[in-house]
Amino acid sequence: MQLIEQRPENRRRLHLAMATLGLLGLAAERPAAADDGTKNWTFDSGLLYYKEGGGRVQAIEPVVNAAIDLGNDRTLTAGFVIDSLSGATPNGAAPAAAPQTFAQPSGKGKTYTIAPGATPLDHTFEDTRFAVDLGYLFPLSSNGHLGVGLSGSKEYDFTSVGANTHYTLDLNQKNTTLSAGAAFEYDSSDPVGGIPLPLTMMVNAVKAGGSSKSKNVKDILLGVTQVLGPRGLLQFNYSLSLSNGYETDPYKILSVVDSNAVPQYYVYEKRPDTRVKNALFAEYKRFVFDRDVVDFSYRYFTDSWGVRAHTADLSYRWNFAQRKSLEPSVRFYTQTAADFYHAALFTGQDATVDNASADPRLGAFNAWTGGLRYGQVLANGHELSVRVEYYKQFGKVAGVPQQAATALSQFNLAPDLSAINVSFGYRFNW
Amino acid sequence: MTKQRKIRVETAHGGDLAGRFEAMASPCEVLADGAGESEIAELTALVAEEVWRIERHWSRYLQGNVVDRINTAQGKAVKVDDETSRFLNYAQHLYEMSDGLFDVTSGVLRGVWRFDGSDNIPKPEEVEAVLPLVGWSIVSWKPPLLQMKPGMQIDFGGIGKEYAVDRALGLAALKTERPILVNCGGDLAANGPHLDGQPWVVGIDSHIPGTATPVIHLLRGGVASSGDAHRFLLKDGVRYPHILNPKTGWPVVGGPRVVTVAGSICTEAGVLSTLALLHGPQADEFLKELEADSQVIW
Repeated sequence: MQLIEQRPENRRRLHLAMATLGLLGLAAERPAAADDGTKNWTFDSGLLYYKEGGGRVQAIEPVVNAAIDLGNDRTLTAGFVIDSLSGATPNGAAPAAAPQTFAQPSGKGKTYTIAPGATPLDHTFEDTRFAVDLGYLFPLSSNGHLGVGLSGSKEYDFTSVGANTHYTLDLNQKNTTLSAGAAFEYDSSDPVGGIPLPLTMMVNAVKAGGSSKSKNVKDILLGVTQVLGPRGLLQFNYSLSLSNGYETDPYKILSVVDSNAVPQYYVYEKRPDTRVKNALFAEYKRFVFDRDVVDFSYRYFTDSWGVRAHTADLSYRWNFAQRKSLEPSVRFYTQTAADFYHAALFTGQDATVDNASADPRLGAFNAWTGGLRYGQVLANGHELSVRVEYYKQFGKVAGVPQQAATALSQFNLAPDLSAINVSFGYRFNW
Repeated sequence: MTKQRKIRVETAHGGDLAGRFEAMASPCEVLADGAGESEIAELTALVAEEVWRIERHWSRYLQGNVVDRINTAQGKAVKVDDETSRFLNYAQHLYEMSDGLFDVTSGVLRGVWRFDGSDNIPKPEEVEAVLPLVGWSIVSWKPPLLQMKPGMQIDFGGIGKEYAVDRALGLAALKTERPILVNCGGDLAANGPHLDGQPWVVGIDSHIPGTATPVIHLLRGGVASSGDAHRFLLKDGVRYPHILNPKTGWPVVGGPRVVTVAGSICTEAGVLSTLALLHGPQADEFLKELEADSQVIW
């Protein structure tokens, strides 16, 4: 027996219903609803642990997000994140048949040496990032809400400040929601040892590019969410991002090789000083078996650097007990390489290219992610969750200079990468 | 009669906190989605106060309350309060709608019928003797004045508990945004589904050994059950349940053992389940006619 909203046609039943409502008389005795002034805090806390295979980057990230209900539909939010990263990250140079020695970014004569055939990794990579954000959401009308926010983050060599706003409008008895948002961000990069001159030889940390570079990013987001009956939800988002300024990674280099794939020297990378990103996102959620939720999403991404990416994500939330759920998920991601991605440059090519980068994140690859999340609402109403994800990236070789292609083919220029991601979440009211 | 007037916060099955107390001879339970211990205690206190208030107000066993004053008036008119007045109006409506089957004056019949599981059927003349003291039609009800023949009694037991569940839920819902479920001995009501949209899953104990417990998925509204497997008389193979037809003074034989009804509110569900039992073998037809969402155990 499942109780559904019923509107009896039967006259006897209608009379009974009316008489019963009269008996209860609650409507007449209901005290006027008053805002009793109690504030309701909600905290979302989490701890994320990320570890790449092969002794590469690992990160520990505690997160706290707080929201306070100020009443009258107004909400104040604040978030705080600490990112602590350490490990080894590819410096951009290609593997070589002989040992390669590189100067550490800080200079001071410190070096590290890479074994023959190995992907050059900078083991000195270590960073701690602090990020905060503040937001305020309030109604503009009975159907419209405006949110405004400020954000900032700080690493020892990177500072970012931003402001954002978004507007949502509920239509059609909240079955349709339109949203529009805009954000501005200013980033300042102060790399250790100064800014290198791009596409110049990396020689004992001579860096004449100045001490600080900046960029600004403008984002626009448009979205529509449509409720499809009592069980389905469809969402579309479009986002446009315009970035101007210093886009280059001051720590990344490229190998300049001869036809035998022997590195002649190394040059600092250079990226265009503008980047326009477009992304389309569609998500469909459906409540199934009166119990579970299926969530499918797809995202298409393209930018002015020539990167095209597709992401497909499928998850199934199995509410196997009243307050417990298991959510397996699988994600596929594929991207093409940026136009200026080069696994290495051929001798002299560094003088002819406008831009060049060997950053694997701008290369071509496919990636699969499999995850499992367990969530439980505890007896005290707090929510606990644990998520484990395994990520496997399959590199695709791209940007190999023809003159050295044969010789370079002996090396793995696009190594696979695996990572494990464990996160704990705890949500509570106060 | 001394009663434990206290509430407890306990962990219900499924790990949620439940506020519990005893009222109207039943275990009562309050669930509030996601509420912590102090909040559930506060809500339960509110619910319990209301249920206990109604119990005190209309208990047949408490001297000096309005029901006691009516039942001991010895033919004099009694002026009743607003809430009792609404209840008597409702009782009158039910009497008319059920063609006299639902009658708040039928309580005196319990003086001759003792449903203790034995075979002590009263003699027909004993039943005959009290019948003149039964019948809403011979009562003078001119709100707020109620006047009855000496010896007549009224009894709100049939729907008092369901009414208390609805009232208490309504009061608690003013205190919190959380979805709440109030359950008194299987008569229950919820003001909305769980925050995640899931229905409340409630097992209805039929008290019949060997019978599967019906499980109800309740998004919002009320559920009530009538019938009691342990209160009957058995003589010459005939089972006389404690459901008495006020027109004949005799139990309604051949009807279901338990009727569970879901409705928009608990009181309505309780009325429908009680009336279904009074229809005896025609219970199913009655429930169908009234389009009641129901489950019947025969």
